[in-house]
Amino acid sequence: MPAARDIFHLGPSILLLQGKMEAVEAAGVAAATVQMDESALIRAAQAGDAHAFEELVRMYDQSVLRLALNLLRSPEDANDIYQEAFLRVFKNLHTFRFDCSFHTWLYRIVTNLCLDALRKRKVRKEEAPVVETREGILDRMDTLEEERADGDPQRHLLSRELQAKIRDVLAGLTARERLVFEMRHYQGMRLRAIGDALGTSEEAAKNCLFRATQKMRAALGDFI
Amino acid sequence: MKCEEAKELFPLLLYGELSFDDEELVEAHVADCAACRGDLRRERALHRALDEIELRPAPEILARSREQLRRSIAVAATRPSLWEKLRRGFTIHVHPIPAGLQPVGALALVAMGFFGARMLPPSLLGSRTNEAGFAAPFTSRVRYVEPESPGKVKMVVEEVRERSLTGSVDDQDIQNLLLAAARDPRDAGLRVESVDLLKSSRECPEVKSALLYALQHDSNPGVRLKALEGLKNSSADPDVRQVLTQVLLADDNAGVRTQAIDLLIQHKEDQMVGTLQELMRHEENGYVRMRCQKALHEMNASIETY
Repeated sequence: MPAARDIFHLGPSILLLQGKMEAVEAAGVAAATVQMDESALIRAAQAGDAHAFEELVRMYDQSVLRLALNLLRSPEDANDIYQEAFLRVFKNLHTFRFDCSFHTWLYRIVTNLCLDALRKRKVRKEEAPVVETREGILDRMDTLEEERADGDPQRHLLSRELQAKIRDVLAGLTARERLVFEMRHYQGMRLRAIGDALGTSEEAAKNCLFRATQKMRAALGDFI
Repeated sequence: MKCEEAKELFPLLLYGELSFDDEELVEAHVADCAACRGDLRRERALHRALDEIELRPAPEILARSREQLRRSIAVAATRPSLWEKLRRGFTIHVHPIPAGLQPVGALALVAMGFFGARMLPPSLLGSRTNEAGFAAPFTSRVRYVEPESPGKVKMVVEEVRERSLTGSVDDQDIQNLLLAAARDPRDAGLRVESVDLLKSSRECPEVKSALLYALQHDSNPGVRLKALEGLKNSSADPDVRQVLTQVLLADDNAGVRTQAIDLLIQHKEDQMVGTLQELMRHEENGYVRMRCQKALHEMNASIETY
């Protein structure tokens, strides 16, 4: 007979203490997650179904990690955002009332964490993260070549100089401009959804994107 | 529209965020203005340059993050916030313990829980009887103890139960267990057996969903083949046909593709022509190609697209 499916199953295991959940019921809840739609997954996770929670995480976690990685350009910092965001989701899922989409709710958490991280970085005036190698000190993002979205080296047409310039310009944007730009350009989110996630209007998100693109055009115009 | 106005709207144009009217105005202006056409080309080049610096997390980074999250959640689940949900059902009252002795008391409770579960007969630890009348021995382990206010202690006990069940595969509880076992990621043999048993209840929507899920997502071809067996009398069902089509084009196991095409061509429909022609472009298995060719021939369709 299958025991706890994985460590997420701790929730249902604990509920056994209350004498409310028979083994048959526990398995039934897990089985019911087959092909659940998102609302059903959320409700099941709210009821303590660890398997449903894991599926919910897997629906979004790649995008969250990608957003954090592109914003912070540090795998460690991106992982910190990932952990904190989904831990908050786990702890607060019972408060989710379907007033908005789960995506919006999740991205409110993620964007708040990212904005805090970007602001802290600005306050510390961090240099681009560097790593020591045999060849000397390199921008650590240069060591992540294999993780680039397009793995075909022939399509990496940009010179390192231009790549560095783009990263500088992005780093010079305000935290909000940076976030709106990342969500629109790399995550493909509509401005209305970005506004919802940031707790502002579509118009404000549009203005933010406009300022970001103006700055980039001004700084990179001569290189393109 | 003036050049400056058009230029300001280029980013929103490229992101598809302009209103219909604004987009029309910008495009009309660009069509008539060579300078703006050049600027728009540069704006597109900037977009491409930005695309090229995008980072995507490597699969192993994602896997590590997921694993770390599992551990964090396991810890978070034992913290007091969750405890609040449990305390109503599991609060132990004991005589007040002097503060200095509280850690000793906590340790003693851990030891009692840990060894007690292993040394006492199951009947003393507690048992339940299910509907089928079987006693259910269980072992338990204290995972967490924390002295609370004087006289109280918090504990989290993990229980593992094993029981034998016998019943009809049509019984709802048994079926629920089989559905869960059919998705148990650790044991492909268990999944094969479970899917095999579920086949007889394929009329049930949950079972049909489970068979379709197994066919599409199970990593083990044996399980996928069992799922196909279960669906063989449902090959006219649109949901089944949709999944069969995906499997036919994407499954990496020739045996699975063979079964999939045999089921699909039982009902020849015009919509299949494109799928079969697509299949002919990349299918390497001789039998699948032969069946595919024959079906296209019978449907008076060309073997390839030109």
